[in-house]
Amino acid sequence: MTTDAAPAALSGARWTGFLQAMLLPVVFVVAWQLLALTFPPESPAPSPAHVVRTFVDLVTTGGLVQATAQSLGRVVIGFLFALISGVALGALMGSSERVKDNLDPIIESFRPIAPMALLPMAILWFGTGTAPSLFIVAYAAFFPLLLNTIHAVSRVDRKLVLAGMTMGIPRSTILSRIILPAALPGVLLGARLAMGVAWTAIIAAELAVGAKSGVGGTSGGIGQMMFVFYAYSVDLNGIVVCMIVVGVVALLIDRLFRFAEHRLMPWRHR
Amino acid sequence: MPNPDDATPLTAGSPLSASLDEAEGVPPAAADTAAPADVRIRLAHRRWFIALRSFAAFIAVWYLMFLWNGNPIQLPSPLRVANAIWQLAIDGELFEHAGISTSRLVVALIVATVVAVPLGFAMGLYRTADKLIDPMVELLRPISGIAWIPLALFIFGVGNVLPVFIMVYVAFFPLLLNTVSGVRNVDPRLVSAARTMGVHGWPLMRQVIVPGALPTIMVGFRLAFAGAWAAVIAAELIGAPSGLGFAIEWYRQLLMSPKVFGFIAIIGVVGYLCDLALRALQRRLTPWAEGTGLS
Repeated sequence: MTTDAAPAALSGARWTGFLQAMLLPVVFVVAWQLLALTFPPESPAPSPAHVVRTFVDLVTTGGLVQATAQSLGRVVIGFLFALISGVALGALMGSSERVKDNLDPIIESFRPIAPMALLPMAILWFGTGTAPSLFIVAYAAFFPLLLNTIHAVSRVDRKLVLAGMTMGIPRSTILSRIILPAALPGVLLGARLAMGVAWTAIIAAELAVGAKSGVGGTSGGIGQMMFVFYAYSVDLNGIVVCMIVVGVVALLIDRLFRFAEHRLMPWRHR
Repeated sequence: MPNPDDATPLTAGSPLSASLDEAEGVPPAAADTAAPADVRIRLAHRRWFIALRSFAAFIAVWYLMFLWNGNPIQLPSPLRVANAIWQLAIDGELFEHAGISTSRLVVALIVATVVAVPLGFAMGLYRTADKLIDPMVELLRPISGIAWIPLALFIFGVGNVLPVFIMVYVAFFPLLLNTVSGVRNVDPRLVSAARTMGVHGWPLMRQVIVPGALPTIMVGFRLAFAGAWAAVIAAELIGAPSGLGFAIEWYRQLLMSPKVFGFIAIIGVVGYLCDLALRALQRRLTPWAEGTGLS
């Protein structure tokens, strides 16, 4: 009866929804542009038009793509360190009560220390190049990975493990065929959280390494680029471009991991 | 193979939650209260003993690394660090910086709560508000608070406002999203039941919706705190003339490593104490919430 009317009504509703969704962002951008027009032309205040122009400039000549790639590369390497150590330690702590009891006090006392607090020491240990940023990223990503792995491994159905043992399956096979698949959702959740934290940490680390050692001793990255725009060329439009790129990359990372969760664990569709 | 020492005293259902609760002084779960008192005391003693043993091992490893490294600026000895913390405490410098950072934190959390919670209620209760505001939130959310630091430095300059602004921004999103989901997930049967009995408007809000949403909001508050605490250190490190983040960088430049380590430890301790306080607040405000604890 309503089969004919339904699609039309649906698309109408969708249009209204779309317009509603766009309303506030559009108003925001227009208001920002109008406000920017009232400033004198030599003012450094950013405006949407200038941000777009700066973005094109930075992509074509300013090395924005290279800087983003460099930061992403650091995040991936630091994340891999954290992934290996966090998952290995997490599997150990999740499967053995004794190991967990002994290590828990240490882990819990390091956890509330903000990653950035270690940056000054990381500069003393590793200089001002890539290494301190890697250290900060790995430290930041370590805890979500570790805690989620512990949680996931300790929640693996004991009956499955016992059944495997009863049938005389070797321990390594139990680990690879029973415990790891069962713990995978938790580990992936930890990986997604860790990657988000890691991306924030690399921006902070690059920014602070730049701020504390000047431009000479450092080696690029998008956080460093923001710092140069802040301290040397006073280019607010460039800073806003970098902020938007940081946001877009964070969004893409998040989507990528959610996609991986769907692909690797189709049984967990909700 | 589990050794007999481990096998006896574990009474609570899940080993993970039991150990977390024990470590943080949560009142024992129902299964625990059934156990005889002396077993519980022995359990607590054992945990203290294990924690002490772990720390002793940690400090021993640290000391060995100190001897092996032989560079007290890169890695000072544990004794020097303990001495530095003691000195900082006597001078009052420790409390000064910790006080500055925590007062910024408190101001920021209050501002974020005042803004985010009412907005979250509006978005949770009215679909139109949600449809209008949510896209803007989702556009801003991926931009981390840290990425705002350079722009905020231009706008606010070096000072108190910058760290507070960054923390408000960081704390805003978890509070808002948890409030929205808390309000939306209030049991509809409770709302219907209240309506059937003629409760409308403000009383419905106060008696049904707020208590139903509060546990989720409190979880959001703790997430907001954790994010804000990490962000304030970064913000102070780069753009504040005081506070814990400033102090570690200051002493790093003076190459006074024991004090740097001291302040790093203080950051951990203050973060831990704030989390304990929030857990206590959570239990006070929402004693009816079960299983909404983080981690």
